[in-house]
Amino acid sequence: MPAQGTVRTARTVRTAPAARIGQVGKRSRSRNRTRGKTVIGVLLTAVMLFPVYWMINESLTRDQDMRKSPPSWFPLHGTLAGYSAVLHDQLPYLGTSLIVGLATVALTLVVSAPAGYSLAKLRPRGGAALSFVLLVAQMIPGIIMAMGFYAILLNTHLINTLPGLVVADSTLAVPFGVLVFTAFMSGIPEELMQAARTDGAGPLRTFWSIVLPVSRNALVTVSLFTFLWAWSDFIFASTLDSGGGRQPITLGIYHYIGNNNQQWNAVMATAVVASVPATVLLVLAQRYVAAGMTTGAVKD
Amino acid sequence: MSSAASSRRRTVGTLAALALVAGAATACSSSSAAKSSSSSAASGTYTVWDPYPQFDNGSAWVKLLTKCGTDAGVTVKVTAYDTTDLTSKALLAAQQGNAPDVLIVDNPVVSTLADAGVLTDTGTTKIDTSAAEPNLLAAGQLNGKTYGVPIGANTLALYYNKTILQAAGVDPASIKDWDSLNAALAKVKAAGKKGITFSAIGTEEGSFQFLPWFWGAKADLTKLDSPQAVDALSLWTTWLKNGYAPNSVINDTQTTSWQEFAAGDTAFSENGTWQLANANKAGFPFGIIPIPAKDGGTAPAPTGGEFVTVPVQSDTGRYATSEKLVACLTNADNAFTTDTTLSYVAAADAVQTKQVAADAELGTWVQAVHAAKGRTSDNLGTKYPKISEQMWTAVQAALSGSANPAGALGTAQKSVSSAG
Amino acid sequence: MVRSTSTRFARPSSSQWAAWAFLTPVTAYLALFYAYPLYKNIDLSLRNYTVGSFVHGGATFAGFGNYTKVFHDPTFSPALLHTIVFTVASLVFQFTIGLALAVFFHQHFRLSATLRALFLVPWLLPLIVSASTWAWMLNSDSGVVNYGLHLLGVAPVDWLTSPHWSLVSVIIANIWIGIPFNLVLLYSGLQSIPEALYEAAAIDGATPWQQFRRITFPMLRPVSAITLLLGWVYTLKVFDIIWIMTKGGPVDSSTTFATWSYRLGFGNLLPKFGPGAAVGNLLVVLALILGLVYIRTQRRAQGA
Repeated sequence: MPAQGTVRTARTVRTAPAARIGQVGKRSRSRNRTRGKTVIGVLLTAVMLFPVYWMINESLTRDQDMRKSPPSWFPLHGTLAGYSAVLHDQLPYLGTSLIVGLATVALTLVVSAPAGYSLAKLRPRGGAALSFVLLVAQMIPGIIMAMGFYAILLNTHLINTLPGLVVADSTLAVPFGVLVFTAFMSGIPEELMQAARTDGAGPLRTFWSIVLPVSRNALVTVSLFTFLWAWSDFIFASTLDSGGGRQPITLGIYHYIGNNNQQWNAVMATAVVASVPATVLLVLAQRYVAAGMTTGAVKD
Repeated sequence: MSSAASSRRRTVGTLAALALVAGAATACSSSSAAKSSSSSAASGTYTVWDPYPQFDNGSAWVKLLTKCGTDAGVTVKVTAYDTTDLTSKALLAAQQGNAPDVLIVDNPVVSTLADAGVLTDTGTTKIDTSAAEPNLLAAGQLNGKTYGVPIGANTLALYYNKTILQAAGVDPASIKDWDSLNAALAKVKAAGKKGITFSAIGTEEGSFQFLPWFWGAKADLTKLDSPQAVDALSLWTTWLKNGYAPNSVINDTQTTSWQEFAAGDTAFSENGTWQLANANKAGFPFGIIPIPAKDGGTAPAPTGGEFVTVPVQSDTGRYATSEKLVACLTNADNAFTTDTTLSYVAAADAVQTKQVAADAELGTWVQAVHAAKGRTSDNLGTKYPKISEQMWTAVQAALSGSANPAGALGTAQKSVSSAG
Repeated sequence: MVRSTSTRFARPSSSQWAAWAFLTPVTAYLALFYAYPLYKNIDLSLRNYTVGSFVHGGATFAGFGNYTKVFHDPTFSPALLHTIVFTVASLVFQFTIGLALAVFFHQHFRLSATLRALFLVPWLLPLIVSASTWAWMLNSDSGVVNYGLHLLGVAPVDWLTSPHWSLVSVIIANIWIGIPFNLVLLYSGLQSIPEALYEAAAIDGATPWQQFRRITFPMLRPVSAITLLLGWVYTLKVFDIIWIMTKGGPVDSSTTFATWSYRLGFGNLLPKFGPGAAVGNLLVVLALILGLVYIRTQRRAQGA
């Protein structure tokens, strides 16, 4: 793959001077510098994740200690009541969120990848207008979309069902997906497209066999954003699936936010437990996201 | 290339495995994921919407609703919403012809929904409202018609921390009016503890908490800028200035304000009936006194609690069964169980007696509920939301120091009058 | 571009056919799912809706009446100002911090990949949780931030309850939530800059700062443009964070168009759908302005 090739060459180029010069002092100094950077990196991450730590702290705090002044840095008189509530109640919601997330990713890719290909490579007349409309589509506030979807789903009998929610959640990501795919696919060199054409491949064959495999990084990026947006969506879930048999985790949290009484340690515990599968996915996927998704990725 | 492909296969494999696990988890426990009885044909299923998301499938509340349904010969499907959301959801559903058969809503919005033509009145549905106390029923009345039945009521009083008051040398029985309350707060502060917490947040909760002081000063909701109203607001601003109440009251909900009290350093907390269960878990001895009026006596507190209503349906034949469901929910025995679970005071006198017999602590609360007033009573109806919004805005302005109490309330009254 | 005559069997119209065939899913999607909500919202803003007419129909046509009402509302100017300040401040800091972090993590030191993935964790949290956590951290009395300030000898700040600080607090929380988005996009943009350019510059004796100014920043321009544009559109819509932390208060000191629109339509006991929809449409117009600017600069860049 051209993209990987550039990176690989670069890395070999970078380490070569050190090896060529071969001075022990210089190598150990660069190792110290690397260690120093790791320390700074860890510090920066710690500062950034401090609110997450605080969330975990709260998830282990007893209700009566929630508003203690001054607050305690560690939950010394901790309680696992929040977590036991979560493990008892919330697993089905987590499962539903996962299914909704994955299904939304599938739908988004199916709709936006071909569109990105067309706008990037096939020069449709009116393509610029469509791009503009997609941009405007992202400007509509969520609550307005939710109200409109309520009527649509009610009339198509998809209200309070997961497929309905998946369709609604995909509107969070499709315009963004088209944007990303267009940007990435316009960077695919014409030589590749030309070679496919010479081999007699039509646009569909080219798309499926050449463009998609090369766009793996864009696919992963769009999938990642789509999954995360669907995972943390609340407004669509609340408006369109409140009466459903299966609900995502964002609604499950509201079990602990009753009309007069709220159990905040359980709410925070739900968030902690819900973050685990998403973090796993993140760590797996970030390798692909990082490796270049915009124009110029394959140009030299 | 091969390593990338194999790692991609690995990722896909993990995702597939996760999906399988998720599917299994969801399938095996779908029955507990939402509150619903078995699915059935549309004609035999009645939908109930309530603002109690904390009650799920196995709870006594859902079991009761299911049983009421079986008694009436239908299946009941219960959906819970966040209470602040329920009004807009009900309006949206009514617009699309998807209103539930029974709707349980917070009492101040009953007038709004009635005005929108979303609710039937009890004359149409033949619901019996005779057992409910008149002052509690008033919140659901608009232009002479009643639009629902209260499921129970709650109201506000002052919880106090016995240990702190003893240490500061304050006798709770001596707090009869604002002067004695201020004196008590001063003593508590001198003893090194915090005075009082309440909720002054910029939502209906803030208005709810301000009303006992507002009405206790003999102010009227139709005249927000009267000198009595200014007195009430000045009471709160003085507390903040003197450090008797923490600054965070401006953003506190009633739950958060309770948590501050439960931390054990505050002497008083203005909070409601529903906190009784939490109070017993608080870890320090507590007591309750009614909120004092400015010049003595008990201040009228606003009535909280939900109404059971029947939205308008295109098929009017459904009302007969809906009425049966409502009657079942609000009959004496069921009301006793429900109100005990919710920690509300019952709406009917007979059930109140039963409650006090079971738990003597409720005696003070029953008294408070007798003296309480509906927010939308006095035929304020749909004027109340506008007044309430201006009132909480004025409270926030005064407490945060953007305006003095007289100025803030003056602006509030002007906005109410100009809106018409 | 060389095109041999033997492959030119496709007439222009049939290649247009193919192009639009690929666009059919997204066009149908737009028509089905975006057109209706947008139309409904414009309709809501052009009529006098009471709760009654919302449910039963028959609302009278109000022309621009709702918009005039909104313009003359005393909340209009503060809301507009706060919207602009909130969005611009959030974008500036999110972008700068995201870029600095992207450049930092680009240096491939030990653990850089894992740490970079960890930076995305704020994104996974449901907004109610992140906003609530920030609200608690910034609490005037029991918040850890004021406690930390106290340890440093600084007087406590009323982060959420003072009209002077409420907007700052929600901006800080929003920046925190927006850094991952900027980090991901800018980092992938960095990945696509060829290493050879940096090598050449290093040999020529350029300092890291000069390399950044002369190579990184200019080559990142297309990615930066997209990041800022999307950031503008998404930040304008932000409402959950502000609503949960301060409800737009106290006294409208942190009210933006997004929270005002919600408050009008859903945040009180008596919904005012008309003005709420009008404010929502104004929000779309604000977003459009930058969208048009972006397209203008794109076209100029392509023409140049």
